[in-house]
Amino acid sequence: MTNCIEIKGLCKSYGDFALNNIDLTLPGGSILGLIGENGAGKTTTIKCILNLIRRDAGEITLLGYDNVKEERLAKQDVGLVLDECFFHDSLRPLDVGRVLAPAYREWDQDLYRSYLDKFGLPEKKLIKEFSRGMKMKLSLSAALAHHPKLLILDEATAGLDPVVRDEILDEFLGFIQDEDHAILMSSHITSDLEKVADYIAYIHQGEVVLSDAKDNILDSYGRVGCTAAQLETIDPRDILRTRRGTFGCEALVKDRSAFSRKYPMLLVERTTLEDIMLFVGKGETK
Amino acid sequence: MTGLIMKDLLVSKRSLKAYLGIMLFYAVLTFLGVFNISFVTAFVSVMLIMLPIGAFSYDEAAKWDRYAMALPLGRRAVVGARYCFTLLVTLISLALAALAGVAVSVTGQGSLFEVLVSAFTTLAAGLLIADILLPLCYKLGAERARPYLYAIIFIPVIVLFLAFRMGVRIDTSWLDSLLLSSPGALLALSALPLLAALALMFVSYLISCRVTANKEY
Repeated sequence: MTNCIEIKGLCKSYGDFALNNIDLTLPGGSILGLIGENGAGKTTTIKCILNLIRRDAGEITLLGYDNVKEERLAKQDVGLVLDECFFHDSLRPLDVGRVLAPAYREWDQDLYRSYLDKFGLPEKKLIKEFSRGMKMKLSLSAALAHHPKLLILDEATAGLDPVVRDEILDEFLGFIQDEDHAILMSSHITSDLEKVADYIAYIHQGEVVLSDAKDNILDSYGRVGCTAAQLETIDPRDILRTRRGTFGCEALVKDRSAFSRKYPMLLVERTTLEDIMLFVGKGETK
Repeated sequence: MTGLIMKDLLVSKRSLKAYLGIMLFYAVLTFLGVFNISFVTAFVSVMLIMLPIGAFSYDEAAKWDRYAMALPLGRRAVVGARYCFTLLVTLISLALAALAGVAVSVTGQGSLFEVLVSAFTTLAAGLLIADILLPLCYKLGAERARPYLYAIIFIPVIVLFLAFRMGVRIDTSWLDSLLLSSPGALLALSALPLLAALALMFVSYLISCRVTANKEY
């Protein structure tokens, strides 16, 4: 099966910030969650994928097509929901359908209207009267109405209440039931990714510092709570990062079971993606 | 591309209605004898300049370009759509001017011929300004390109005014004699600047394509 996204050796420099040698693969039938702090390079990566900015080096293919040389073919089966709603305030959802229909070979007006109906979006209401949640649902309806095989979502659930987020996440899970479909989803809301993602790629300061199946990460990584004295007894090779606070210390370990066997007196808990981000973003190496 | 032209029409709908309303107002005043019909024909060129620039402003407010460039159309098609919209506005302007000409001719308040000559000339000026402004809008954005609009309009006016004050006179009597001897030739002559502005539009399009090809969104 063709990978829906393949990124090899992607580099992009802005002088004070650079994406360094990004490698990512998104197989069909799966969701890849892209996590990272603000300014880590998630949106820059997505902009490179969409050929909105020129890369300095590397190769990107979307659904088997080169994203620059075969841009129109590569994007034909891609649905987009970016961090904002880009539709003009003076338009109405029905207008959006009329504007986007000629851009896609497979645009399905009935499907578009059924999504509007499903999400409770009035077809003839001005977009300026929509809430943020409604705008994101409109963007999602537009992204799904041409039977895409790949969805690219950049902070699509940011700023939405839990009910709307859950509704949208359900839609993503429904979309992914087809094995030819895939989703690349960048998000700060790591709990959303824990719910739906199959793979996680963590971008930190322009580099992929962690890329694995989500279950592997959550099943193997662990968080150790200990005192400063206990931390000193741990072999630095057994921990990835540490955090020192007023009331104690914490350490991130890569192999929870192996660590428990080696240090039976220390309690190792399951970790979350948010913990891992905090360890990498705010922690230090021992 | 047709979707993008449709988008420009939809977002410019209110402005278009407002311009049409003002023109209708001028037209009524013309038929009441308050204004000359040249007010109406001059106003079509204002519409021709302002509507495409307005479309850029609306796109900027919605941050539309980033989305449009991410669609499976290619950058040239996105640029092409804006030029097609400008052409469409030119055709609408021309049709309105022709309609005004027919109206004054039917009511005996002027000649269709004179209105058309006047409309061709003002539309050529409007289209030429649009040819210069569109690449600037792609390069700088609508708001930063706007001062250039005023420069493009006022610098020639100031130069002509100063030249007039300095005693420079252009002999236009040959136009009057041409009007008397061969009105058809004068009409054809007045269409030449418009055709030249249309040809320049292609050059302008190529420049805009080059600007967007190097731009990051």
